[in-house]
Amino acid sequence: MKGLRVPGFDDIAKALKYIIDLSLGSGAVSGALVPVRGPEGSFPWILASDTAPLEGAEPLPPVMPVQGARALASFTQDPPEGKVLAVMRPCEARASIEVAKLQQSDLDGTILLTMDCPGVVPLADLSSDDSLEPDPGDPASLRPLCRQCTQFTAAGDISVARSGEGIYLLPLTEKGRLFAKELGFTGGETELPEWRARTDALIKQREEAALESHRSIRLEAQGLEGLAAFFSGCVGCRSCRTVCPVCYCRLCFIDMKDRRSSAADHLARSASAGAARLVTDTLLFHIGRMSHMSLSCVSCGMCEDACPSDIPVGRLMSMVSVGTSQLFGYSAGASPDDPLPLTVFEPEELHEYED
Amino acid sequence: MSTRTEGRYLHSDLEPGDALRSMLREMLESGRLDSVFLLRRTPAEGRFCYSLVSDPETIDETLPFHPVMPVQAARALTQLTIREPLNGPVAALLRPCELRAFLENVKQSQGSMENLFVISCTCPGVFPASEFIGSGRRDPGKDWDLRNACAACVDFVPGTGADMTVILSSDDAVSGTLVHLATARAEELTDHSEGFSPVDGPDPADRNRTTASERQRVRRALLRDAPPAGEGLSSLVSMFSKCIGCRACRQACPLCNCILCDYETSRTIHSPALVMEESRRRGATRVPSGTLQFHLGRLVHIAPLCTACGQCGDVCPVDIPVAEIFIRAGELVQDTLAYRPGRDPDEGPPLSVYSDGELQEIMD
Repeated sequence: MKGLRVPGFDDIAKALKYIIDLSLGSGAVSGALVPVRGPEGSFPWILASDTAPLEGAEPLPPVMPVQGARALASFTQDPPEGKVLAVMRPCEARASIEVAKLQQSDLDGTILLTMDCPGVVPLADLSSDDSLEPDPGDPASLRPLCRQCTQFTAAGDISVARSGEGIYLLPLTEKGRLFAKELGFTGGETELPEWRARTDALIKQREEAALESHRSIRLEAQGLEGLAAFFSGCVGCRSCRTVCPVCYCRLCFIDMKDRRSSAADHLARSASAGAARLVTDTLLFHIGRMSHMSLSCVSCGMCEDACPSDIPVGRLMSMVSVGTSQLFGYSAGASPDDPLPLTVFEPEELHEYED
Repeated sequence: MSTRTEGRYLHSDLEPGDALRSMLREMLESGRLDSVFLLRRTPAEGRFCYSLVSDPETIDETLPFHPVMPVQAARALTQLTIREPLNGPVAALLRPCELRAFLENVKQSQGSMENLFVISCTCPGVFPASEFIGSGRRDPGKDWDLRNACAACVDFVPGTGADMTVILSSDDAVSGTLVHLATARAEELTDHSEGFSPVDGPDPADRNRTTASERQRVRRALLRDAPPAGEGLSSLVSMFSKCIGCRACRQACPLCNCILCDYETSRTIHSPALVMEESRRRGATRVPSGTLQFHLGRLVHIAPLCTACGQCGDVCPVDIPVAEIFIRAGELVQDTLAYRPGRDPDEGPPLSVYSDGELQEIMD
């Protein structure tokens, strides 16, 4: 991958702020989506039409309170008037691409600008210590899913990376290439050997961490008993579903009125097993959610961050999604042109799962 | 002269956990009950759940009134009885706030009390869920504190709706277990309970006068100082800045029962054109929009009925003091409407009752 030098910067966050200001200030875009530093240690997303509010912009907050794809989709059901620069992490950009494929948003006119993501600190940890910062070289500082993330760079239309002492723009799509040109980055693209070497080394480390995580989660959640124990602490708050960028149903299958059991059914369940848990359908909810969203899961880890019961649900979802994606040779968010596997009919496939 | 009233009790020498397990096991074995609803251990350490227990032997795994509330029991009882009433006798161990919330749900046709035998308690409170999670988000070295809502709870002695009340909170220590019998059904069901002997004594409220005063003191401080004790809208905006829109507070609340919440409908979800317009008008706008709208809306719907259980605050992933906000709003609204949720099962919910010439005091 080659990049265009962004002269005068050696820090990704500062370079991002400059690019956002330039994009909006020059009129290349009429809106910019970026987090800002808010009151009480918050980092809300804003859609800015003016450059003044961008003074508080924080393109790389230490936490990810709202998945960028959810923020973007909230105002792009129809393509926005004028162009929008959406500045977000690689997993958020990949989720945005999936959400567009699921027809919940239209990315026409939106430029997805990503960066080398250092990872984030768990949401709950920042509540108790607001000085925490993520350190990509120190796994203990990061959320569990960030520790095993191998797709922390170069997603969307254009990405910002550091190589050596310089900051570079990496155009990844034609849209991205045109946008970079429009902003005035017309120089030649150069190789980025330091970035490449450092990125490859970190990817390898993270791959190993991912394999280990998958192995241990698979063991922990083995079989029905294992899965039930895994979700023992689930209180049915549905946070995992609500914060997930891919889950978009206004009325979830689990809440449908027709699904309700009668008291007699609950008592019969209790009589036959000796005891029956209430609120019920814990496993049905999670397995159902998995079966619906697994192929589009980008392993962003929002679900695990939002869980009030400290269940490693994100690690489970990620492990399952790697498995289901492999069935179809699909990679969520890699390209807007890859159709969703369940929308493609192949007369001959998956024979290995037949009896 | 104090108006002390006497109550009828059963006393056991065993501690409450064992005493209740023994009583419930026997009621299941004799067929006087089909099932019991109470807290039970799960296979995972430090995790508990409510369970409908039908097998007497499984009672051994239960933890009657363990100081934790993974789910507000009224939410579970609503799921149990919303389609139709229980078709057999079931006992439910409920804290006063859970009982009151369920009574409110019954008023809104979200459940039924039929065939339900209620065993409540004078409630000492519960610990926040995070205290029970092994890895713990809070400092494991510090003393465990009760939920703020529990420390400030003045409705901890059950009223109408409780058939039996276990004395867990009392000014003077109780040796063994004391169970107050409030109804004829309670006397009937406990007629042959082994290990229990009848005894008279001050009724549950009279046993908790000092405790009630202390709770009043904490409650007054909460109402006076707790968020959002600030300047109106800007203080609310600030407080909910951290909100990630996970809706856990709504899901955990036993009184929020709408199949499709108002704030998930196209009526309240702002169109892209509106969001863009707001952005242009003010220079920038927060997205997704509607953070405060959701909470204010929920406050309007729930404040008249809030039983101050604190479940909402317990599940918030970013430690917004939601429970305190609802408790304060609840107090203000309930005072104005002269309504106390769950006080009287026959009293209609305030917004369903029309009174000529009411609320004059808040008119211009």
